[in-house]
Parts: sequence; C-alpha cells; structure tokens
Amino acid sequence: MARVLIILLAYCLGMVQSSNAAETIIVVANTADKSIQLNRQQVRNLFMGGALPYDLDAVALPPENHTRVLFNTKVVGLTESRIQSYWAQMRFTGRKKAPVEIKNEELVVEYLMTNVGATGYLPAGVAIPEELTVLYSSK
Amino acid sequence: MNKTDDQQASISKSTLLVVFLCLFSVTDSYASSQDSLQFSGFARAIVGHLDDENAEYVGYDNSLSLDQQSLLGLQADYSLTDSISVTAQVVGYTEDQRNSGLQWLYLSYAPNNALQIKLGKLRIPFFNYSDSLDIGFAYPWLTLPQQVYDTAFFSTFEGVLANYGFSLNNWLVDFEAYWGYYDDKIYLASQEIDTKVDGLFGANATVNIENFTLRASYNQGDAEVAQDEASLFAEQLRLLGFSTNADWLNANGLIRFYQFSANYENLNYFVRGEVTKMVSEAGLVADIDSFFISLGYNFHPYTLYISYSEKDLHFEHASNEIPFGVSDELDFLAATYMGVIAAFPDDQATGTKLGLRWDWRPNLAFKAEMTFVNANDKVSNDYAVKDLGGFDGQAILYQVGAEWVF
Repeated sequence: MARVLIILLAYCLGMVQSSNAAETIIVVANTADKSIQLNRQQVRNLFMGGALPYDLDAVALPPENHTRVLFNTKVVGLTESRIQSYWAQMRFTGRKKAPVEIKNEELVVEYLMTNVGATGYLPAGVAIPEELTVLYSSK
Repeated sequence: MNKTDDQQASISKSTLLVVFLCLFSVTDSYASSQDSLQFSGFARAIVGHLDDENAEYVGYDNSLSLDQQSLLGLQADYSLTDSISVTAQVVGYTEDQRNSGLQWLYLSYAPNNALQIKLGKLRIPFFNYSDSLDIGFAYPWLTLPQQVYDTAFFSTFEGVLANYGFSLNNWLVDFEAYWGYYDDKIYLASQEIDTKVDGLFGANATVNIENFTLRASYNQGDAEVAQDEASLFAEQLRLLGFSTNADWLNANGLIRFYQFSANYENLNYFVRGEVTKMVSEAGLVADIDSFFISLGYNFHPYTLYISYSEKDLHFEHASNEIPFGVSDELDFLAATYMGVIAAFPDDQATGTKLGLRWDWRPNLAFKAEMTFVNANDKVSNDYAVKDLGGFDGQAILYQVGAEWVF
C-alpha cells in the first residue's frame, strides 16, 4: 500500500513539474535595444504602471485568459481581483491607466510587431518572430 | 433650502442625468481603446442597518437604509495631445451630508511616464485612501475604517499637484506634492459651516519593495472656520482681560496632518495598517489621533477580512479664568464660557470589523460587513457616532453592498 502511495506521489510530483515547465511565462517587447533584460520585480513594476528607465508600454490579455492568470500568479503575485481594484483606484484618482487589453496571444504578437516599445507576456511555447526581444522568462 | 438652491439642485440633478444617459449610449467604455475621449464610472449600492435604536453610526440608524453610502460617479478623460489631457469626474451622493457634483476637474501634463502635473480641482491626498474614498471597488472593506476616514471633512482643493515616480534597483518610489486652497462648506454636527483653507500644501512618498508598500505624508493648511458667535464672545472676553479664554475661542489657525501606512500583500493574504494624526493650533478645532490595522485572507473569488481601528479626538480646553460670584455679568460670562467648552467635547471610538468581499466579475464585487462600534463614554454627537438618548456606547452595523466599475 505504502509503495503504491509513493508511486502515486512521485507520479503527481512529475505532473506538477512537467506542467510547470509548460507554463513558463515570457515577456516580449518590440525594442531596438536587444540587450534589455528585466528581472521579475521590474516586470511587475512595468505591468503595474511604475516608471522604468526604458521606453516600454505594457499590453495585457483579458482577465479570464489562462496566460494572464499565470502571469498574475507567477510574476505579479497578486490576485486578479486585487489587480482590478488597483487599476480602479489608479484610474479614478487620475494616476495611471491599465495596460491596453488584447484579446488573445496571437493578436498580442501581431500588436507587438506593429508597435515600437510595446511589451506583452506570452506562454513560453509561442513562436516569437525575430524582430521581437524576450526580456524575461519565469522559472 | 431657498429657491435658488432648489433651482441649482434641480439643474445639477438634470445635468447628472444627461451625462449619465450620454455615457450609456457609449458602450464598452471601461475596457476600450485608445480613443481621445474615454468615459468610465463607478457605482456603489450599499444597504445598512444599526442594531441599536438609541444610536446612529455613519448615518445609519435602526431602520434599513440605502441612502447613506450609495453613489454614482462618472468620469470623462479627453486627450488633447499625447502628453496633455483633461479629466472631469462628477459624483452623485445619496447621503445629504456630501455635496453632489464635480469632484475632480483638471488639466494634466505628463511629458513622460515618470512625471505628471495636474492643475485644477483635485482630491486632497492626505491619507492612503483620501482621494479614492468613493471608489469602494478599490478597497477590500465595505466601509473604510471610519475612525481614520471620517468623511465630515474638506476633501477637495483647487491648485496644482505634481507626481514623480522612478525605480531604483527593485524599489519603486513615487513622490507627490501639491499646493492650493479650499473655499467651501464642511459638514459638522449636521450643520454646514463655511470654511476657507489657504496655503494648503502637502507632500507624500510611496515606496514599493517586493510585496511591501510604505507611504508617509505631511500636509498643512491655514484654516478659517466660520464661528461668528464664538468670535464675538471672544472679543468681549478679551476686552475684559480674559485673554487665555479669548484665545481658546478661536477656530482659525494652522492644521497639520501626518500619515504613515504599511501594506503587505501576496496571493494569499494581506496586512494593511495606517496611523494618522491631525494637530490644530485653534482651540475650537480638535486634535485627532487614529489608526487601523486589517488582515485579509484571499480564497478566490472571496476575500475574508478583519479590521480594528481607533480614534481619539480631543480638545485642549483652556479652563475657565472668569471668577464666579463677583457680579451677575461675570457669572453669566463664566457660565457661557463653560457652556462653550461643553459644546466642544472629546470624541473617542473604536471599530472592529468582520467582512467578506466576493469578486463576481472583473468589474463587479459584492461585500458584506459587520462593524462593532464601541464609543465608551466619549460621544460628542458631532461625528460618526450619535447618541439619540440612552445609548450604552455599543452597537453593531450590518451592511451589504455591490461595487461596480465600468
């Protein structure tokens, strides 16, 4: 019985690990400077409207999107509802506006290609055109 | 209300209605686009009931009422260029102690994403939530910890505000400073009092490090609060040589506000605390010390929270220096002075909250909250807690509500 449990546990752990690998988030930008690298905190700041020394404009996916949920959990570290209330406070006190929302991952790539400085998050598996730069990759 | 006020009220109500109808003809406004004109808004529908028939708390009594904190706010942002925009926000309150109408109207200049300068009518950023009191969707509580956020106060100013943000390693720092004046009415003890505040200025800094946010602010203003009867009485006392008492009977002078807050939040829980202090030079304007501490636990889509807050409002009463028993006139003056002191009593209360927020949609949340208020013996009836007769100092406020942004 104990052996079965251990095998089951090992199997579950394996699942978690493989799903983690598949759920890596990358942050991609249309930027002339290909050397820019951001750490998690800088990515968080960028997507929460904070000033960074680079000329980057964040774009987001809609609230129900799975990649957005992963990005909130792994990078921002806040729940969707907390992020929504933060943007409501920022908007109605005239401080900052939430990133432009783009319907899905394919359209994000399209948007990045046509807008200099635009920065978005995508799942690691998505094919990234050469013109774009990966600034960050979650572990 | 006289006829002109009536007319003004009906004009502003019809203006609100027109703006409201216009807004609803523009669909999908909150989420949309980079158009140069954007509309957005927020609404709160809050029902409350106090379990004690001998008291009133933040306007709620023993009956069920929807007309205390429910409100509707509409905002229009118009971009003139990439860096210049105009913003107007009107709020219609159901509570009769707050003036419905324009809360924000400003021109904004943002040459880059670090600096922003605003000019016009703005909310005063005294404390953490001072400029977003009306946006219930923006905070977890149903009612902000009232012992810190008493709404019977001047909340807007006309002037200039500048904001500068930068990042330093993993720190995100934001400085804000403003300067201006206030010339309007405040509501105190169910009365409208003409109030002018000149030389109003303040500065605050917010630092964000990982999951911590710290904020500190200093604000001051030279207040002139219309208290005509007290001024006349003070002059009479001064002529007779009772200058200590005459000095105390003064509602004008510098008011200073200090604030410090610390928040920690992650996916699972949050801790938020804030300490505030108001110090006044004028005898007839109180000093206030208050704080709150809140803990919350997230289990998506719900947030469960508890909160404790305290307020200590006190006057530095100058004791009576007018002798009794010398003459009838002096006896009368002394009794009047004692009467004035009694009319400006201290006020202390604590509030303990338990509540639940349910984020049903990304822009719609429901909340339920109970607040246990304990007012000890110090109830002045000028502020949130009112003794209607025979109040034992303890009551529970039950509230449910919906918070919407669009």
